[in-house]
Amino acid sequence: MEFITLEPTSATPSISYNPATQTLYIIGESYPENSFDFYAPVISWLRTALTELPGLTLDIAVTYMNSSSTKCAFDIMDTMEEAYGRGVKSAIIWRYDRENPRSYEMAEDFREEVTFPFVIEAIEE
Amino acid sequence: MDLYDLRSEFNKSGIMMCFNGPFSHSIIEETGKAMRTYLTAENIAQAAVLDVFAVYIELAQNVRNYLVVREITPPEALSSIITIAQNGGVYTVSSGNMVLHEDGKALLARVEEVNGMTAEVKKRQYRELLRQDLAPGLIGAGLGFLEISRRTTGKLECTFRVVDDTFGFFTLTAII
Repeated sequence: MEFITLEPTSATPSISYNPATQTLYIIGESYPENSFDFYAPVISWLRTALTELPGLTLDIAVTYMNSSSTKCAFDIMDTMEEAYGRGVKSAIIWRYDRENPRSYEMAEDFREEVTFPFVIEAIEE
Repeated sequence: MDLYDLRSEFNKSGIMMCFNGPFSHSIIEETGKAMRTYLTAENIAQAAVLDVFAVYIELAQNVRNYLVVREITPPEALSSIITIAQNGGVYTVSSGNMVLHEDGKALLARVEEVNGMTAEVKKRQYRELLRQDLAPGLIGAGLGFLEISRRTTGKLECTFRVVDDTFGFFTLTAII
């Protein structure tokens, strides 16, 4: 169940997984040409991983995402929420940019959608 | 066509950037990057830069996704336009593209619907759309207009002009 790291481009974030800490990292900006195609392998990996792992943390530092990426981020969280309901220890660390109030609002909006631990932290320079 | 006249028209309207032609993802990306660099150099707040950029991305990707999903191929119909203007600290992003007549009507109705919503209703509908399963083949989640309107001041403006029996020209303008 190896995760294939995605390297960042100007319109897509880097996505990587650290099996030692069971943490999935999404870092960068997200406005791909086709967000659903871009996130499909990540969501499909996540679905399998969450049936095998005791817990998973999503560490996300995405200060801008377009609306279709927002939908994909929601689908990721929804998958984690579902797993949390089955006893998987889901958690999110959402990092926002202090200079950009929108990225904090976005984090808050997402936090409202889930019931598992969701921490909002500023990105340290 | 006189380029000087065209340039003067742009300058008069405060248009700082314009792309006219078939949109590709790389053109959307490069124009967006250039715009951000320009706005950042203008020393405006980062939040405002990102709002203008976000509105631009939604408009440009809407246009491109529409033409892809509808499998529109005539070159004259593919050519689309996007402009970013600045007048006294107010930013205006506009897009224009060919749409099928029936889609034009639906788009006008959708913009009117979004314009009539309170912030609270917008947020609620946004959350509902996030939770909806998407039909296969869709590129967007229908969130674009809501996303744009959440970042703009005032109402979205749109026009539709009949071009021929099949197509009309649809424009959408957002003020930030």
